[in-house]
Amino acid sequence: MSQLRAARKSLETVRRSKELLRSFYARDARRREGGPLAWCMAGVSSEILHAFDVPWEFPENFGTLCAAKQVAGQFCEQAEAEGFSQDLCSYLRNSIGYVSRLVELGHVPPEAPRDGMAAPTMLLGSGSICDPRIKWFQAIASRYLPVPVFHTDPMSLPHDVDPHDPRIEAHYKELLRDTLSEQIAFLERHTGRPLDVERLRDAMANAQEALALLWEIQELRRAVPCPMGAEDYFMGGVIPLLYLLGERDAVEYLRQLRDEVRDRVARGIGVVPDERFRLLWMGIPPWYNLGFFNAVGALGAVFVIETVYFSGAPVEIDLADPVAALVERSWKRAVWIHEWGAEVVPENCSLSGFSAPGMRLLRRWVQDYRLDGVVMHRTRSCRAVSWGQVHVKNQLAEEGIPSLIIESDMADPRSWADAVIMGQVRGFLGGIESARGTAPAC
Amino acid sequence: MTPSGLARARALYEGRDERARELKADGRKVVGYLCYFAPPEIMEAAGLVPYRIRGDVREPVTEADRYVEPYGCPFVRNTFDQAVKGRYDFLDGVVMSHACDSVQRMYGIWTSYRPPAFRHMVNVPHTVTPATERFFRRELELFKERVEAFAGRAIDDAALEETIALYNRVRALVWDLYALRQSDPPLISGTEMLEVLIAGSGIPAAEFETLLTEVKAEVTARAPRSGPRRARLLFYGCINDDVSLVRLVEECAADVVMDDTCIGARGQLGAVTDGDDPFGGFVRYYFTGFQCPRTYRGTGRERFDYLVESARRFRAEGVVLYILSFCDPHKLDLVDVRRRLDDAGLPSLVLEDDYTLANVESMRTRIQAFVEMIG
Ligand code: SF4
Ligand code: SF4
Repeated sequence: MSQLRAARKSLETVRRSKELLRSFYARDARRREGGPLAWCMAGVSSEILHAFDVPWEFPENFGTLCAAKQVAGQFCEQAEAEGFSQDLCSYLRNSIGYVSRLVELGHVPPEAPRDGMAAPTMLLGSGSICDPRIKWFQAIASRYLPVPVFHTDPMSLPHDVDPHDPRIEAHYKELLRDTLSEQIAFLERHTGRPLDVERLRDAMANAQEALALLWEIQELRRAVPCPMGAEDYFMGGVIPLLYLLGERDAVEYLRQLRDEVRDRVARGIGVVPDERFRLLWMGIPPWYNLGFFNAVGALGAVFVIETVYFSGAPVEIDLADPVAALVERSWKRAVWIHEWGAEVVPENCSLSGFSAPGMRLLRRWVQDYRLDGVVMHRTRSCRAVSWGQVHVKNQLAEEGIPSLIIESDMADPRSWADAVIMGQVRGFLGGIESARGTAPAC
Repeated sequence: MTPSGLARARALYEGRDERARELKADGRKVVGYLCYFAPPEIMEAAGLVPYRIRGDVREPVTEADRYVEPYGCPFVRNTFDQAVKGRYDFLDGVVMSHACDSVQRMYGIWTSYRPPAFRHMVNVPHTVTPATERFFRRELELFKERVEAFAGRAIDDAALEETIALYNRVRALVWDLYALRQSDPPLISGTEMLEVLIAGSGIPAAEFETLLTEVKAEVTARAPRSGPRRARLLFYGCINDDVSLVRLVEECAADVVMDDTCIGARGQLGAVTDGDDPFGGFVRYYFTGFQCPRTYRGTGRERFDYLVESARRFRAEGVVLYILSFCDPHKLDLVDVRRRLDDAGLPSLVLEDDYTLANVESMRTRIQAFVEMIG
């Protein structure tokens, strides 16, 4: 089974996310006729946008929605026809194809999921995580939508630099502060109003709560049987983290989610009835086929933790000066990640709320989450997240942890070879089972 | 007799790292670097030998796959493959810069599996703003300190000034050679020029200066080539550290009269200015003004005006756009570059390669058709 299909969610809270995360699903209502609308890259602080009362869209994650609705393929093809190489990030190609249609029609293309993304009045990029993100808005603004662009540009520490050297800390934090001030000045210019510091403080406080809840949820997933799998996390955890960090909605929703997960742990309810394999998921999911996780679940395997959209342990910050608090949060999180080994992680110093864990943390997860194996998704059009998987595989092998690399793409469904991939997964699980000395599972 | 001029450049090019190995045997410390964001002047001012790390297009990647994924910059993968096979064993250090995702990630992988005695990454912001210029400047100051500690000696102002002056003289000589391509026919071919530049990227700057002086004398004394007129092309694109492609273009009845590549005009022309503020000069030369697509430079197509001007100055009639597979920065600029060239009435041809030159024959056919079309 599998083919391309949406996931069946296990958790009630995630199933009800449409009513619980109203401000996400009612995106159309957030936009105001003639008002500002930003398109953003992950790495932009949603708390800042919240403080400026600027609604926003994430073209990157719009790619995931288009993929889930099976329209990403056609948008990607359109971008390719306009000269954008098939090597390039499929989220990027998806948004270029979309924007091209938007401009051609003069309105949101009818095939777009969830009201689409309306034409922006500004593009807010970020230097975090990958190269395509720094050139993406350049491509959109130079060819399709000539609106102002601003990129925040924090830098991440190379893996062998000591973040506790006070000069290094000052050096990186100065850039964080400067780039954030430049962004605030840009937003003040383009919205015609000053930063609302009170609103920012509120948003930062909400974000702190949301991040703490997310961390708690991730920790609860250590339980055997596992109360929540990747099929739920990739909607239930990611939407509040990406779109709603800073909003009350997200906190209430995550609290409910945490309560449900906690309750499941207390009652010993797992995602799959007969949990035989506990797996780590590494890489971006195939958004057009989240049903893959259910298909793997049917083989008795559950993905108990993921490496992407990883929020990490909460850090303490002083909200008296919320701009300084945002700098502090970004820096402390980057240091936390760095200390777990940053030789192959994407840039990890980000003004938004997530990044990727390092190798030493993965090693620790083997015990903490009682992992039987690791499945890595090599996404051909995203080098930033895929590069490093072979290194991780080598490191895991030294400790006798089996891992499997499957290959396709995050948003371009043309790359998914279901029979091949499911065959690989069956073989992988069979190998784990025979290593245990029990009969092959599948 | 030791060859000189173009013959010496050829020998250095073919011999690849022989000279660096000799210097190492003489007790010098040789440091390999990828990309110019780590200014070689700083290393040289400390008495180190900066050696630009090259791949080898003829050498298939066989070992790197054990450590790094197949989808990613084929040039970077190739250099690492060479490192795994021991080609860079003579290096005392490896310096990379955060040029792009591939290099950033390769730094972590390279230093994990093949840790050199000295290693350093120069971090490079993606955008140019007052804040990022300040950051980059501090990065270079930190780099200088690391280099000093490794070299075991401080870089004083006089040494730095002298080295900058030497590098500027080298670039001025490179420009003199480039200028000899403005005439029709050019006095020095694109293949010869690239061979000289690649040869110079693995030897101390003073030796390069001598080499360039010899080449200049030799080429200036040449009689202009006779024979039918050939199309004049500008060669733009990704890292080009092998002469094969330029030679291929020149075998197709065209002259490569100008380039915008690294190794090439990017980083080997112009000057680091501001003698009393060398770091300000480095920031301007290697960051603010450095035309590598890895940096965001605003959205207007006028960001490629420099290319059109360069094409006009060298009377190029068309542009070859050489792109490596999986190079996000270049591929994302490609659409706009082509549009800017179209606006300027400059036809362009895209040649994509995976750093193996596996499709040379089909490229030849396409280049021939392009040259004929330019007529
Ligand atoms: S991290 Fe990967 S998927 Fe995300 S925008 Fe960058 S290239 Fe695309
Ligand atoms: S060719 Fe492209 S991907 Fe490779 S090192 Fe250069 S910028 Fe990076």
